[in-house]
Amino acid sequence: MGAEQEQEQLEKEKEKEPDENEDTMDRGYNLNDNVDILAEIMARLDGRSLGVAACVCRLWSTVCKQDRVWEALCDRHVIGGAGDPGTRSVVAALGGYRRLYRLCLGPALDRLTCSGETTDSDKQGWAHLSLSLSLSLFSIDCYERLEGKQRPASLLFLCKPVNVA
Amino acid sequence: MGPYGSDSTTIASAACSGPEMDAILAGAGFGTRLSGPCNVTNASDYSLPFNPSDLTTWVDSMLTDLTSATTANLPPQPIHATWTNQICSPLNPTDHAASHVLMAQQRKEEEDSGIRLVHLLMTCADAVQRDNTGLAASLVDEMRVLLSRVNTLSGIGKVAGYFADALFRRIYTTEVPLSTSEYEVLYHHFYESCPYLKFAHFTANQAILEACEGYDRVHVIDFSLMQGLQWPALIQALALRPGGPPFLRITGIGPPSPDGRDALREVGFKLAELARSVRVRFAFRGVAANRLDNVKPWMFQATQGEAVAVNSVLQLHRLLTDPATTPAPIDSVLEWIVGIRPKVVTVVEQEADHNKPTFIDRFTEALFYYSTMFDSLEGSRPQHQRQMALAEVYLQKEICNIVCCEGENRVERHEPLAQWQTRLANAGLHRVHLGSNAFRQASMLLTLFSDEGYCVEEVDGCLTLGWHSRPLISASAWRAPDADVSPDDSSVIASNSNNCNIIINSNHNNNNSSNNVSGSDDNRISV
Repeated sequence: MGAEQEQEQLEKEKEKEPDENEDTMDRGYNLNDNVDILAEIMARLDGRSLGVAACVCRLWSTVCKQDRVWEALCDRHVIGGAGDPGTRSVVAALGGYRRLYRLCLGPALDRLTCSGETTDSDKQGWAHLSLSLSLSLFSIDCYERLEGKQRPASLLFLCKPVNVA
Repeated sequence: MGPYGSDSTTIASAACSGPEMDAILAGAGFGTRLSGPCNVTNASDYSLPFNPSDLTTWVDSMLTDLTSATTANLPPQPIHATWTNQICSPLNPTDHAASHVLMAQQRKEEEDSGIRLVHLLMTCADAVQRDNTGLAASLVDEMRVLLSRVNTLSGIGKVAGYFADALFRRIYTTEVPLSTSEYEVLYHHFYESCPYLKFAHFTANQAILEACEGYDRVHVIDFSLMQGLQWPALIQALALRPGGPPFLRITGIGPPSPDGRDALREVGFKLAELARSVRVRFAFRGVAANRLDNVKPWMFQATQGEAVAVNSVLQLHRLLTDPATTPAPIDSVLEWIVGIRPKVVTVVEQEADHNKPTFIDRFTEALFYYSTMFDSLEGSRPQHQRQMALAEVYLQKEICNIVCCEGENRVERHEPLAQWQTRLANAGLHRVHLGSNAFRQASMLLTLFSDEGYCVEEVDGCLTLGWHSRPLISASAWRAPDADVSPDDSSVIASNSNNCNIIINSNHNNNNSSNNVSGSDDNRISV
C-alpha cells in the first residue's frame, strides 16, 4: 500500500500543473489517466453503483473488478472484521471479496434493509454477525464448487441477489 | 391434476411399484401451485383431536356434520350456469357478488373435502391398527376417488395424498428402503429448499466453536457425514479464530458405498482441499458402518489433549426401538459417547413424537407434523420446482417409514426434545446452554430465508426452529461430566482399545511447515 500511496502523491503533484493553464486545450485532466484515484472513488460506492460503473467502459470495468474495491465495500458494512489480513487471506482463498459480496453479503444486506432493522446498535450487531454468517455460507458455496459443479445451489435461497457480474 | 386422477381400478391389480409412484409424485410436484387461503393448518379450526383416544366420538360427530354438509354442496350444473351467465352479460352488476359467492362455495367445498379426507385417513388408520384389512382397503379406494376431485398440489390435498399412499403401501406392498445415493440426492434437495438442516448445521457449529475455544487440537466425530456440508463453515470459522486455527480432525461415519467408490474418502478429500486453501491443518478419517451401534469407540483413536466434539444431526432417533423392548441400541451408543469424554455433543432431532406404541397415535402425530412441514415448504418458495418436489419426496420417505414399517425396519422413531433431554441426562451428559450468538445467528439465517412463517425459540437453553409457532426441529448441546479438565490431563480413552490389535497404515501427508495443511488420512475402517 505504501508504494501505491507514493505513486498517488506523484500523480497528484503532476495534476497540479494543469491548473495554471486551464484554458489550454492540449493539457486537460482526465480521471481515466489516474487509475488509483479512480479505484479510491470506486471503493466508496455501494454495490449497485459499482455494478453500473463497471458497465461504463473497459477501463472502469477493470477497475471495478479489483478485489480491493469490493473489500472496501464489505469492510464498510461490518465492524472491524473484513479488512484484517487474516480475514483477507481466508476470503481470497474462498473466492474473493467481489464474489462474497455478490453471493452473500449483498443479498443479506438487501434482505436486512427490506425487513427494516431499527436501532443503530442493533444494526451494528446484525452487520457484524452478517459477516460471519456470510462467510459460512460463502465457504459452503466454495466447497460445492470444488466438486466442479457448474451452478452450486446452496445459496439459491438468498432472494434478490445483487447482480454485479 | 393429482396423482390419483386416473383410474382407481388399478388398486386391486398389480400394485404400483415404488419408482412408478415416485415418478407420479414427482410429476405432481412439478405443477405445484401455491394456494393461499386453503391452508392445511386451517383444518385445526375444525377441532381435529389432539388426543386420539377421543377418536370414536370425534368420528361420529364428523359423520353427522358431513351428512348435513353434503346437502349444502352445489352440484356442478348451477356453477356452469353462473359462469355462462357471467360470460354472456359481463355488465350485470350482480355477477360480481355471484363470483364471490362462487369462490366462497368452492373454498368451502375444498375444505369439506379436506375434512372428509382427514376423517377417512383416521378411520383407515384405525382399521389398519385393528388388522381389518378389508375395511382399510375399501377406505383407501374411497380416498383415491376423493383425491381425484381435490387439489392435490398443495395444502391438505397434498399431505393427505402422501398419507393415503403410505397407507396403501402398508396394506399392499412392502416398503423398499432407499439406496444411499438416492437418499443423498433427496437430502441435498431438502437441505437447499428449507432452512431446517442449515439451522441444524450452523447451530451445532456454533456450539462446537464455543466449546473448543482455547484447544489446539479439535476432533469432530460426525455421525452422518453425507456430503459434509456442515463442515466448510466450521473450517472457515476456525481459520478466522482469534489466536489461529487449531489442528482439526474430522471422523465421518457413513454407510459403505456399494459400487466400490469410497464416498467417505472423496468427501474427506474435498474438505481437506478447502482446509488447505484457508490454511487449517486438517486430517480426515472415514468409518463405514451401516448402523451406529456397529461403531466402536476405538475406531476414532481419540488421543490425549484433543477436544472431542460429537455431532449427531437426525441420527440418534434411528437407534431407538419400541418403548417396550430394552435394551435399545441407543443405550450402548450413549455409553461410549460418554466414555470418550467429549467437550460437546451436539444433538439435533425432529421435534415430534413418532415413537408411540400404538399405530393410530403415531399416525395422528405424523399427520400434524408433516402437514406443518409441507406448509413451510410451500411457504418458503424455493427457486426451483424440481428442488421442492425432491424435498417433498424426502419427506414422503420419512412418512412411509413411519406409517408402513415396523420393528427393525422403522428407523424414523422421532421423539420430542423433553424426552431426549431426560434420556441424555440419564446417560450422564450435562446440558450446555446454547448462547445468544447461536440464537442471533439462527434468527439472522431465517431472515435470509424469504418467508415470515419461521420462528426460532429458545427453550431451556436449546433452540427450536418451527413454522408458525409449531416447533419442528430442535438443537441442543451437551458435554460429558468433568469434560472441562485441562488438555494435558490424560483423558480416559475407552478401555476396549487394548483388546484390538489393529494396525492401521498411516498415510499422512502432513507437511510440518507452519502454515500448511495435511492431506486426507487414507484410512477407512469398515464394519
